[in-house]
Amino acid sequence: MSVEALPAIHLDRLTKHYTHLTALNSVSLDVRPGEIFGFLGLNGAGKTTTIRMLLDLVRPTSGQAFVFGMNCRAQALKVRSQIGYLPGELGFVADMTGKGMLEFLGRLGERAIDHRWQRDLLDRFQLSDADLRRTLREYSTGMKRKLGIVQAFQSDAALLILDEPTEGLDPLMQEALYELLRDSRRRGRTVFMSSHVLSEVERVCDRIGLLRRGQLVLVSPVAEVRQLAARSVRIQFREKVEKPPSEGNWPDGCEVVELAPRAWTLRISGPLGPIVAKIGSLPVEDVEVREAHLEDVLKRYYKDETAP
Amino acid sequence: MTRRTFVLVRRSLLRIRGVLLSVGLLLAGFQFLLTQVATYLMRQSAYSQLSALVPDFVRTIAGPSTLAFMSFTGVVSLGYFHPIVIAMLVGLMITIATEPAAEVETRFVDLTLARPLARAELISRSLVILILAGGFMLGAMALGAWIGLTCCTPAEAERPSAALTASLAVSLASVMACWGGVALALAATARRRAVAVAVAGVTAFGSYLLDYLGRAWEPARPISVLSPFHYFEPLSLIAGHPLSMRNLAVLLGTGLAGTCVAYLVFTRRDI
Repeated sequence: MSVEALPAIHLDRLTKHYTHLTALNSVSLDVRPGEIFGFLGLNGAGKTTTIRMLLDLVRPTSGQAFVFGMNCRAQALKVRSQIGYLPGELGFVADMTGKGMLEFLGRLGERAIDHRWQRDLLDRFQLSDADLRRTLREYSTGMKRKLGIVQAFQSDAALLILDEPTEGLDPLMQEALYELLRDSRRRGRTVFMSSHVLSEVERVCDRIGLLRRGQLVLVSPVAEVRQLAARSVRIQFREKVEKPPSEGNWPDGCEVVELAPRAWTLRISGPLGPIVAKIGSLPVEDVEVREAHLEDVLKRYYKDETAP
Repeated sequence: MTRRTFVLVRRSLLRIRGVLLSVGLLLAGFQFLLTQVATYLMRQSAYSQLSALVPDFVRTIAGPSTLAFMSFTGVVSLGYFHPIVIAMLVGLMITIATEPAAEVETRFVDLTLARPLARAELISRSLVILILAGGFMLGAMALGAWIGLTCCTPAEAERPSAALTASLAVSLASVMACWGGVALALAATARRRAVAVAVAGVTAFGSYLLDYLGRAWEPARPISVLSPFHYFEPLSLIAGHPLSMRNLAVLLGTGLAGTCVAYLVFTRRDI
């Protein structure tokens, strides 16, 4: 089987118990090569534990993890030679310079660093030579994050594992990262990123997996998840209209939010056709449809333990 | 040593070069100073007077080798068993050996072990630095003494033989190896460097006191064999006894056991 045909990441009933806590409970998941996969969950859901098991920093209680078909425990060194990793918490040594840190980490890798690619990354994140000559003690949180991103991408690994990648980045640098992620996808790299910023996941990810209390409760393409949410529809009328006689006459999937004399606000799951037919005889001035956001659906999963 | 271990060793050495040079300079200076003190005492013909001043109970506690210390050779060799020097060297070994715990604590290890680097290489790195640092300190001490004896000591002074200096150095090296190994084992299990340093430091200090207690107080003698310092007998070397292989085996064996525990634990634990 070729490397391309294998899942970039395969988790097989991965479980991690600590003394008084189940951090991860029988999680099974496939991440396809070349996709950007968003790994979501509230704090303590088990995202970082999963990532640390992929890197063999934490050992599973049961189950197995594979990267490009290689067992993350038995073939840990081969696995890690395929990974570029951005930790959520960057443990840079304060008395090293930015340049020294990149060189040091580069030397620990399998391949020699392509300096043109490294230069491109530094330019994208606006890290100048003067910045790199400074010790990391002098770096701001955002600059450390940018350096962290560069060290993760500089080896041009086939799989990028990013733990909360935009934490501490300003909006411009967030954009630079999103662009880099899209470029990585175009170049066939796989990205596995944990995040709790739903808007960024919606912008860049192809699929998402949602962890809740150590259990994977949802795996789906972003577009499909969005469809699960009801759209908000506001209908404005030229003149006052009577309220419909009873709630039973509303089409399936339509929920009334507010019925004012000159404007109705509805939440509609599914096609809009039936409601358009229903208001066809009324003096409609304008119809405003607000598309559902990923957030609308995922907040339900976060909050509602009984959500499907 | 693999290429990656070498990269790790180089980085760690660069980080602690200031400390190593300072401690090395201090020890070399101390050794040089001892040669001058020994020369002064010799010129004053003070050794026999000093020996006469040693009270009987001290001779009983410390044994006949105490008198061996009251000589030119004994004073020049003092650096190899002076409590402050021992504390400094054991402290240095503990500091170096606990680097893996510091890397776990600061999460630096997440960056290094995300590369194709075996966990054992972090322990090997610390082991190599322990050996290099220990060797450097002993070299600095020998150099300080050599400069003092060569340039500023009368020709008639009875210099310590090369064999005695070597056996004192080996004896001190074995103490350093012992505590380096113990600290390495503690560092491999700890999540915080301060915890590893504190446990190793308190254990070393307690062991030192236990050894003293065993020498001074008969009832404590049986338990003082538990102290690694019980197997460190520099005065008997100065008195002309050969280096005890049993002592060497106990100290090096303890260090080796600590190192093996460190490899075993660190390659198996969650980080």
